[in-house]
Amino acid sequence: MSVAVSRRLFTVDQYHEMARSGILSEDDRVELLAGEIVEMSPIGSRHASCVDRLTKTITMQIENSAIVRVQSPIRLGPRSEPQPDLALLKPRADFYAQAHPGPQDVLLIIEVAETSTDTDRKLKLPLYAKTGIPEVWIFELFTKQVDLYNPKAISLPAGVSARQGGFESGFSIDLIYEV
Amino acid sequence: MPVAVSRRLFTVDQYHKMARSGILSEDDRVELLAGEIVDMSPIGSRHAACVKCLNQIFNESLQGQAVVSVQDPIRLGPRSEPQPDLALLKPRADFYANAHPGPQDVLLIIEVVETSAEVDRKLKLPLYAKAGIPEVWIFELSAKKVEVYRNPSARKYLVSETYTKKQTLSLQAYPHVNVDLSEVFRII
Repeated sequence: MSVAVSRRLFTVDQYHEMARSGILSEDDRVELLAGEIVEMSPIGSRHASCVDRLTKTITMQIENSAIVRVQSPIRLGPRSEPQPDLALLKPRADFYAQAHPGPQDVLLIIEVAETSTDTDRKLKLPLYAKTGIPEVWIFELFTKQVDLYNPKAISLPAGVSARQGGFESGFSIDLIYEV
Repeated sequence: MPVAVSRRLFTVDQYHKMARSGILSEDDRVELLAGEIVDMSPIGSRHAACVKCLNQIFNESLQGQAVVSVQDPIRLGPRSEPQPDLALLKPRADFYANAHPGPQDVLLIIEVVETSAEVDRKLKLPLYAKAGIPEVWIFELSAKKVEVYRNPSARKYLVSETYTKKQTLSLQAYPHVNVDLSEVFRII
């Protein structure tokens, strides 16, 4: 049943206050997306394996030139704090201990999509574009396809570049993985 | 743009915890409906006048046989705490100071709607039925009519009737208490 209701939206500060006051717990698999607290889908084994492979591949190639953040928060703006599957961050000595990285700290975001493509593409991708995340890759496990989005180069929201592999700023990854 | 997302739902206890920790304030016009915190629409003057008029009618005619609750919370269940425009409650000496009234305390709920009543009809009415609220009246100001719902079942009200501005409505719980709808609608 779809009813047009005006839901209360929350700020990142209120979201963290919920964690401090026990309304949300650290074990809750939720993200804050445009003020809405959204439940994340359970991670299947193919999804987890893909994230692990990417983590390994990217970490080995970039060494110390970036930080690889896995399924941890990015503070996108006052009302959004997603937890992308993988984020490549500008290096920082404290590994962002003082505050979650903001959009200006992000080099690349990767989402692995098995079932959650609707949320990833329709809700999260526009937020990434709006906040200036320079590049987003969405790994589609069913179609074995990777979509690259570069919101700076292409107007949104249709900015799909369907080529596979390649990353302008220095390394490439082997996209052949078994799923 | 509708996207099928699974939103985090909250319990009444978590909702009240938000108030205690300052995430929500007493001035926030929100309701908890089936776990979702929903913003209430601003109240127009016709809407407010209708509620004031009904409040006066019930307070005069009931003479203490029921508590008239105006835009206050009803604890419908573990995930719902709406604030109906008006509710008639079983009388209680403490006026429900220790806990918000539950469904078993409610004799009648009234919602006043200007035009679109999507939230009231599609979201709140099924919650009222499921919780066993015995009677609901929805005042539609533009159409000058009242929808009356009785006999709640698990999903909906089994009886619904429409009354127009010249008719008189009587309360199921106290049949001697009548509301002359012309008295209400003449001010709108």
